[in-house]
Amino acid sequence: MLKLIIPTIMLIPTTWYSNNKMIWINSTTHSLLISLITLLFLNHNDENSMTTSLNFFSDPLSSPLLMLTTWLLPLMIMASQHHLSKETHTRKKLYITMLILLQLFLIMTFAATELMMFYIMFEATLIPTLIIITRWGNQPERLNAGLYFLFYTLFGSMPLLIALTYIHNSTGSLNLLLLPHWTQMSLPPWSNTLLWTACMTAFMVKMPLYGLHLWLPKAHVEAPIAGSMVLAAILLKLGGYGMMRITIVLNPPTTPMTYPFLILSLWGMIMTSSICLRQTDLKSLIAYSSVSHMALVIMAILIQTPWGFAGAMTLMVAHGLTSSLLFCLANSNYERVHNRTMILARGLQVLLPLMTTWWLLASLANLALPPTINLIGELFVMMTAFSWSNVTIIFTGLNMLITASYTLFMLITTQRGTLTHHINSIKPTFTRENSLMLMHVIPLLLLSLNPKMTLGLFH
Amino acid sequence: MNPTTLFAIPMTLFSGTMLTMLSSHWLLIWAGLEMNMLALIPILMKKTNPRSTEATTKYFLTQTTASMLLMMAILINMTSSGQWTITNMDNPSATSLATLALIMKLGLSPFHFWIPEVTQGIPLTSGMILLTWQKLAPISIMFQLAPLLNPYIILTSTALSILVGGWGGLNQTQLRKIMAYSSISHMGWTTAILMYSPSTMILNLSIYILLTLTTFSMLTIYANHTISSLALLWNKNPLIALAISLTLLSLGGLPPLTGFLPKWIIIQEMMKNNSIITPLFMTIAALLNLYFYMRLIYSTTLTMLPTTNNIKTKWRFESTKQTLLLPTLLILSTFLLPLAPITPILN
Repeated sequence: MLKLIIPTIMLIPTTWYSNNKMIWINSTTHSLLISLITLLFLNHNDENSMTTSLNFFSDPLSSPLLMLTTWLLPLMIMASQHHLSKETHTRKKLYITMLILLQLFLIMTFAATELMMFYIMFEATLIPTLIIITRWGNQPERLNAGLYFLFYTLFGSMPLLIALTYIHNSTGSLNLLLLPHWTQMSLPPWSNTLLWTACMTAFMVKMPLYGLHLWLPKAHVEAPIAGSMVLAAILLKLGGYGMMRITIVLNPPTTPMTYPFLILSLWGMIMTSSICLRQTDLKSLIAYSSVSHMALVIMAILIQTPWGFAGAMTLMVAHGLTSSLLFCLANSNYERVHNRTMILARGLQVLLPLMTTWWLLASLANLALPPTINLIGELFVMMTAFSWSNVTIIFTGLNMLITASYTLFMLITTQRGTLTHHINSIKPTFTRENSLMLMHVIPLLLLSLNPKMTLGLFH
Repeated sequence: MNPTTLFAIPMTLFSGTMLTMLSSHWLLIWAGLEMNMLALIPILMKKTNPRSTEATTKYFLTQTTASMLLMMAILINMTSSGQWTITNMDNPSATSLATLALIMKLGLSPFHFWIPEVTQGIPLTSGMILLTWQKLAPISIMFQLAPLLNPYIILTSTALSILVGGWGGLNQTQLRKIMAYSSISHMGWTTAILMYSPSTMILNLSIYILLTLTTFSMLTIYANHTISSLALLWNKNPLIALAISLTLLSLGGLPPLTGFLPKWIIIQEMMKNNSIITPLFMTIAALLNLYFYMRLIYSTTLTMLPTTNNIKTKWRFESTKQTLLLPTLLILSTFLLPLAPITPILN
């Protein structure tokens, strides 16, 4: 794993020592090269994980997310070029350093063997994200957004620290390679419940679960583009990955404990999708759609069947790429009109036809069109939920319907219809923007051809 | 100042603490504490304005009360056991009185009221000495007396201190008061594992002293006393603005910075002794502390130009303050967490 971590650390001196003209080129190129290394990790021959050292390992569960993380860094750097163009070179380098630091902590989180290392790196990702949101966001609301983000996550993860320490004391080790072979802990009923809640709350807040999701619309909307991309694509998946890992230890109490959270997910799915139908703010719409998709993932992980985990993994990767793509598209609108309101930049098909192609592909992916991996993920999750209880088909089916509605609403509002008068003079699409969208869309489409690698442990 | 005085006062301060830490005779320990307090008085009174006088008087009165309580405990011990050795304190009233006295010396709840007011009235460097050096002597007594002290008093004051330190600091704009409440909270954490593992208490104290020294050193450079004075610090010295933010994040206990290490070890030690709910509430109360540090970080680093700022710029003077060992302190305050595997030596 050091072959991934050391180059990422070395990206920081690369950025700082770059010629002022070459800041963007150097960091983008080298981070792209690093992402090629993670492709090595996708080669799993059997169910066993690829243990690379005492502290880091790679698993069919973590390698798709590692791939996503490293793929996203060059995309984030490419997307940030415009809004940082007026800043001093030191500030540009500082911003890129924050992104690289975040990438480093994320790699270490996904590759960690010891759950305590996972926890420390999980918390460590908060600091660069906080700095990106509050320092480089655009509106005064970003201050509140940063505080909500930090304190919601920390409030959820303090009990996780206690729970992990308790499990360490009672089972002797927190190593993920050892834990599946351990005998189950037996605790009195209420203690079991509290332990389960303590472990899961952190990840529920991070996912986010419907009742604890208040930080997400704020943080996603106020963050600059790279912040939104990384939040939507990776940081939410930290919660899902953590949940998948920690349920190994929590097995007996999980079945009755999950009922409230499953209900919250089902209901939250419908609620947040419906809110999307009434949004005027484009980024807010995409943020709420993230909550909706993640509710599906939570449901799949909590039901704990093989197809559920496979569907959750696929949906996480698919949603990561799609949501990040949608945020990039929304940002391209924002950079032209300096406003996130949807109706102020409408009818863009006439002005920017290639961008419409990307909007179309993103929207089709978001509404889970076959044969994209979005559909495969959602289908697996729907089947898992149906096997758990037949009634859930009403909710998941209704969710698919509403998702399609708001996605098409977003597509039609921004692309179709008549132009407004004031956007006749917007700049045409940059090559950088086109390549950014292409680099999002290509993995999405290619994975539709071979979704096996994102199906996690059970393909 | 007279060179003799300039030498004598810190020397007395130093030797007072050393006397307390190195003796086993109760009278000498008490004498060391008194020397410490008396030597600190002129340091607190460096500027002779009425506010400093008030602060110094409050300090003197509370510390004397604590010393007298300690003397009472010593004498009860003397009359009931007939000897002056520190490690043989069997009489329960003696131990309870000694616990109360030491808590008052440290400034834990419910005897914390003097800390914000004293810290506010004195210059920044004196505040630094008050909040770091002055903790060493009482903590060393607690370390030696650890199995004998009254656990109920200790645990109550721990819980109260962490809560008071968190909530008290929320409404403050003066940096010295904020550091005072942070000290109350951290002392609460320090005494939390006194009952279970006194060596971890020393770890917590040392990292707390490290972080507080770093913070105060950076604040003295431009004599920042309020949050609003921090707001345009990035203009004068952007590196210090960044460094203050990192140190404050470390004080708040965020991984992967050093400040997380003592909290983590304390939680581990408490849980090894089957105390689970207490660390849970302690960690959540520590988030209150983090909130007002975040407020400071917001005004220092996270709201720089081109975002608008309503703070009046001050005159830019060339800073003549010495910053001893600041780079070393900074690196130690932020990057020490990877050394966590050596903590088993504390057992």
